[in-house]
Amino acid sequence: MMGSAAVGAVSMGFVRRRPCPPGTVPVVVPGPYGRPVVSCQVTYGGFGGGPYRFYGHGHLHGGG
Amino acid sequence: MRRLACPERDDWRVTAEQAGFDFHTIDGERYWDERACYAFTLDEIERQIEAPTAEIDAMCLELVARAIDDEGLLRRLKIPEAFWPLISESWHRDELSLYGRLDLSFDGRGPAKLLEYNADTPTSIFEAAVFQWTWLEQAIERQIVEGDADQFNSIHERLIDAWRKLGQGKLGQPRLLHLAGTTDNIEDAGTLAYLEDTARQAGLQTSLIDVEDIGWRDDGGFVDLDNREIELAFKLYPWEWMFHDAFGERLAKAATRWIEPPWKAILSNKGMLPLLWEMFPDHPNLLPAYFEDDPNCARLGASYVRKPIYSREGANIALVREGVEVAAQAGPYGTEGFIRQALAPLPKFANQYPVIGSWLIDHTPCGLSIREDASPITGNTSRFLPHAIL
Repeated sequence: MMGSAAVGAVSMGFVRRRPCPPGTVPVVVPGPYGRPVVSCQVTYGGFGGGPYRFYGHGHLHGGG
Repeated sequence: MRRLACPERDDWRVTAEQAGFDFHTIDGERYWDERACYAFTLDEIERQIEAPTAEIDAMCLELVARAIDDEGLLRRLKIPEAFWPLISESWHRDELSLYGRLDLSFDGRGPAKLLEYNADTPTSIFEAAVFQWTWLEQAIERQIVEGDADQFNSIHERLIDAWRKLGQGKLGQPRLLHLAGTTDNIEDAGTLAYLEDTARQAGLQTSLIDVEDIGWRDDGGFVDLDNREIELAFKLYPWEWMFHDAFGERLAKAATRWIEPPWKAILSNKGMLPLLWEMFPDHPNLLPAYFEDDPNCARLGASYVRKPIYSREGANIALVREGVEVAAQAGPYGTEGFIRQALAPLPKFANQYPVIGSWLIDHTPCGLSIREDASPITGNTSRFLPHAIL
């Protein structure tokens, strides 16, 4: 897959390494002054909004 | 088709809990109800439920094949345009369906009539596949039903076979299957646990995840809380909700293969009922149905059922007889519009209205479940009754 992961995998050797917390992965992104930095980027919570939209809470089930 | 009063097994609650059937009673009310069962003849099952179920499924696939690249039909179904390519690609890649449940009106006298198709996220499969079968075995042992009683039920075995097909990975490696849903809901958690068990029996590695815990990695892909790629995911969470969630726009960018596949969004939509009727007018197992904004709707006259294009578990459904609303369920749906379907009153046995759930696993009709209610609209609180072939 060619994308930022591939770029990151290639360029990781040129940037300062730092650990990422569990559940995230190191991704190389442009930092201040254009310098590449490692960012730990995983976003959660992007699914599961249906019950909140319809019922105002998350306890409705998705099955039917 | 008959409704037979039955003595309850005195230990059924213990048996249920030992089997992991934690939601046999919901909010203090019976959900599993074995004070009666429905009895069918083999002919009723084979000719009037099993065969029509296969035929309706075949018609549904014809409908999907027609709608999949037809902008006009996708618009009538109110499927957001942004997801048309995702839906179309999943169909053209032949992505497999695991299961579905047709809801039928059937009284044993006339042909079964399709009320709707829960094509995307059907529940009640554990109780249909396992606990109902346990009931039959014990009911025979305890002489509650005759010794040669049988059941239309090979759901469990067919699920395992279907998972084997879905789980075939490269180089014979077992695939990791994520099962996602609203895990704090006892019914969905039970359904997920059962499906996970059948997938494991088919040789898949599995991991349960709450749908809210699915992560998006900025380099493009869905991951779990351990940062593992989600390659194959069963979701007990409807497509129409996924489309409108914040991650909806990322579905097309991810390599995740979803079960049910995106093309099922065409069928898990009440708009499929008028489209089926348009394609197969006067089919004995279909009811006349029209979109509410279609002038042909007038053909139904003053008696019909009004259903939102998207709704769940009977919400926002109204029964209108001679212009008067005789039953209705409240709910938050209807923004996308409504369809109207000819009124096909459910049969009444002992003042209860049963709906037949006819299960398809990998497109094979293989089981039956019955939900019963004192109301003619089947909803989330309708009770589950076992059946037997006598």
